[in-house]
Order: sequence, then C-alpha cells, then structure tokens
Amino acid sequence: MGDLKLLATLVEKGDHLGTAKLTRELLDRGIDANQILLEGLQKGILSLGERFKCNEAFIPEVLLSARAMKTGMEVLKPFLIPTESKAKVVLGTVKDDLHDIGKNMVGMMLESLGFKVIDLGVNVHEEKFLSVIRKEKAPLLAMSALLSTTMPELKYVIEYLKKEGMRDGIRVLVGGAPVTEKYAVDIGADGYAPDAVRAAEKATELLGVKR
Amino acid sequence: MALNHKEPDRVPQLIRWGKEVGTRLSEIFGVSGEDLGPRMGNDAIVCQVGINALMEMSVGDLVEGETLTSEWGIVYQRQSGFNNPIKYPFETKENLDTYRWPNPHNPRRLNEIKRVMKKYHHDYVVIVDLSSSLYEAAMAHLRGMEKFILDSYDDPEWVGRVLDGIADYYTALGIHAVNEGVDIIRIGDDVGTQTGMLIPPILWRQLVKPRLQRMIQAFKKASPQIIILYHSCGDFSLIFNDLIELGVTFISTMQPTANLKDPFGVKKKYGDKLAFKGGLDTQHLLPRGTPRQVRDAVRELLRGYAPGGGYVFMPAHLLYQDVPTENIWAMIEALKDYGAYPLKI
Repeated sequence: MGDLKLLATLVEKGDHLGTAKLTRELLDRGIDANQILLEGLQKGILSLGERFKCNEAFIPEVLLSARAMKTGMEVLKPFLIPTESKAKVVLGTVKDDLHDIGKNMVGMMLESLGFKVIDLGVNVHEEKFLSVIRKEKAPLLAMSALLSTTMPELKYVIEYLKKEGMRDGIRVLVGGAPVTEKYAVDIGADGYAPDAVRAAEKATELLGVKR
Repeated sequence: MALNHKEPDRVPQLIRWGKEVGTRLSEIFGVSGEDLGPRMGNDAIVCQVGINALMEMSVGDLVEGETLTSEWGIVYQRQSGFNNPIKYPFETKENLDTYRWPNPHNPRRLNEIKRVMKKYHHDYVVIVDLSSSLYEAAMAHLRGMEKFILDSYDDPEWVGRVLDGIADYYTALGIHAVNEGVDIIRIGDDVGTQTGMLIPPILWRQLVKPRLQRMIQAFKKASPQIIILYHSCGDFSLIFNDLIELGVTFISTMQPTANLKDPFGVKKKYGDKLAFKGGLDTQHLLPRGTPRQVRDAVRELLRGYAPGGGYVFMPAHLLYQDVPTENIWAMIEALKDYGAYPLKI
C-alpha cells in the first residue's frame, strides 16, 4: 500500500502536519484505522528508532517523529477499535533528579507501541511510585536517573518494592546516562536500556507483549 | 606551556567540586572558598561569570526550596544541590520581542574579574568561564530543552534571534575579560551525550557555529594571544574539526564515553591541534571505584593524553557528593606520583 508507506515516511521525517493530513485522507478513503496505525504510524517511528539506535539519527529527530506519531494518533483515536487492553507502565525520574527529556522519549516510544503510560514526571519519591503502581495495578515500572548522585535511588525503589511485598508482581526497567547493564543487574532490576527505542523493545520483551 | 604542546615539569592540575565536596575538603585542609583550589594543587583559577554560574556554583546561596530570579529573568529554585530553572523568560516565543537582555557591562561582574586577576594572576592561570554560551544557554535556561529543540526545526529564524542575543552579550563580556589580561576564555554548550551528539552536527553548524565564530573572532581581535577553551559534556567529537577551524585550541571535559573513551586514540587523532583537559570518569570510577582503581586509571589517562604536553589533568566533571574523600585523595596523589615530566609510566 503505497500511501501507508508514504505515511510511515512522513512520521519518520517528523512531518506532523503532513502526517495529520494523510492520516485523515486515508481514514476518509475507508482504510482500517488499526492498519493505518500499525503499517503507517508505528512503522515510521520504528524506522526512525532503528536509525537512532545506530547513531544515524539524533534526539531532535526522535522528538519530531514522536510528535508526528502523536498527531496522527489523535486523528485516529476515535476510530481505533481497542484490540486488547493496553499494558500499563508507570514511568518517572527518581527522587532529587529533575531531568526528563530521556524519560519523555521513553514515554513517547512506549505510547507509540501501544502501552498506556502513567508518567509521574520528575523527582518522584519511592512512596509515590508504589502508591501509583498499587492503584493502577501496573505490571511495569520504568525509572530514569541522569546523575551518578541520584542513581542509588533506583536501588532504593526496588528495595522498597521488596519490603512492601510488591516486587514479584512487577517488572522493573531502568535507564539514564550513568546507568549500565551491570548496575541494573547489581540492583536487581529486570531490564536496562540505553535509549528510548531499546527501552520500548525491552518493555515489550519483559511483558511478553505481542506486537 | 602545556597548552603549547611542550612538556613542563609536570602535568598541570585543575580539579573542581560541588559545594558538599568543598565543605568536606575545607574541613581537611583548613582553607575554604576560592583558596581551596590552590591549596589542593590547582594551577589555574576559574572565574565563572556565564549563565551557568547561578546554577552550578551556588552563587547566590540558597537553601533547599528557596528561589531567586536572575538578571536574565530566569527563576531558579534550589533542588537537591543545584539551582534549577523553574520559570523561563521565553515561556512563549513572543516574549523575545520585549525581552531586556542582561547588561554585559555590569561593573559588579567586571570588578570580580579584576579582583581575581589581581589576587591570582601572578601565580596562576586565570580562566574566565562564559558557559553555557549559546545553545545550552537557550535550551536549558531561557526556553526549556524540548521546546527549544523543536523550535530549532519549526522556527529557526526565532532561534537565530535568541542565539544572536546571547552571542552579543557574551561577546561584550568576553572582550572585557580579554582586555583585563585573562589567559583563557572558556566557552561551551553541553551538546554531547553518552553516545554522541545531542543535536545533529548539521544543525549545530547551521545555528551555533556562525555565532561561535563571531564570538571567537571578537576575542582574538581584542587579543591574538587569548586561548579559547571549549567545553561540552558527552561525546561531541563530531564537531572537533569545526572547533579547530574556528580557532579553538583547548578542549574540556573529555568525558570517557563513546568516541572519547580511548585517550590514546583521541590524542593520536587530534593531539597535534588540540590540548585536552579532563577525562577521568566521574560516573562510576570516582564514586564507586577503589582508591587503587582510581590510581591505576589516573596513570592510564596520563599515558594516553600527557605525552608531549597538551594535557591538563581534571576529572570529567566537578566532584559531587557521591565521590568518597579517599578517592579524591588517591587521585591527587596519583597525579603527583605519575604526572612528572619526563613521564615514567
């Protein structure tokens, strides 16, 4: 379908106005909304994601594509038939850390792949993480720390989950500039990702979600 | 001497720290404030007068939760040891039309440069720090990161006007510093990340490079001997050749990540044109390594960067509260043991 390919290209290039326009046109022509989502929008952002992983694309391009994706999804939303209940992800930057651009990109990528993201923002205390996880019954917690001084908070949240008897019911994914695979293993996380694209892939893997 | 790619008697040192580490070290050495650096063996003094001053060095001493508004119209709040912007002057783009830029000729700031020169220049190299100098100043202090990055694509003309305003300010301020006889002007923007550039080089060349060129040309016109030091965190090696072209001869911070992980490789590729400052890992080694590991890493770093001169020892960032005192000690002592020329390591 040439036009779905074109839509994917528009998303990949970050053209949010073009994406919205073509999405509307395709809907008007009777193309199934879920097909537009998967073969047009998602395909586009995943292509960009592949280039980002190889350092061929940069953070601004991820932001532009995510915006295009979001714009397209807003057009599609009234027409999307919910196929299965979306897996919930509680997302946040840890206590005393105010950095959010990486976390925001993780949220964008997760939403693009169909997750329901509950973004708690920055400087999130462990009690807040746990109370939202409890309330939402979320199967995945994704946390970010940008500073070597706030990295230990990742460990404290995991320990708090254990203390409250909640550790077994949730998968924990961690990331952020100073975080490494080894550190994630050492602190008892379930997964680590160095960037937003791989975070979304890891989340899919951890939850055994089929795309 | 080191900056002219000659070997002096030893590798020069410039170690800097955050407030908590400063307090700890003051208690050990009985000396505090700006005198602590020289007491610890630093060969240079940094006079920080750029927009980062309020954010980093606790100028304007706030307690947790307290706020202050800067001359740029930014509202900062003390949060977890940093003064963080909570309100930006360019919340809306239209604010630029009526914005009052700060005064680069503010006598308080110029007197501070004069004071530092008078006190230290006889015995120490004086660096005047104008960071963050262009893109980071706009994105982190004036507009907000995500918005400014998207603006760079949606409205490059507006972005250009913001960068011109910042460049005008720093050009005027920098010329004052050069005229005072400072040795080095430090300019910089955090345009690197753990894996590479934050923004594509092509965007940097389009938006930032022309303004940076203007600033450096003005400083060199005021004094051809002025040394231009450029700083960015992360891996920004993709613009090293651009910086060389603009007259930058000294690069900092050499965060050991991605293409900057290997000091031998970096020195081989750029060592004839650039002097380096930095390189000792502050994300893992200094906070969580053993003193032995710190010593070994210092030696390895010197083996890579120091031969032939052209290197000033520094960790890859300021030392913050997660670095144990024993590791700071191990680092300083290792530099003393391994940093004498001719190198015997």
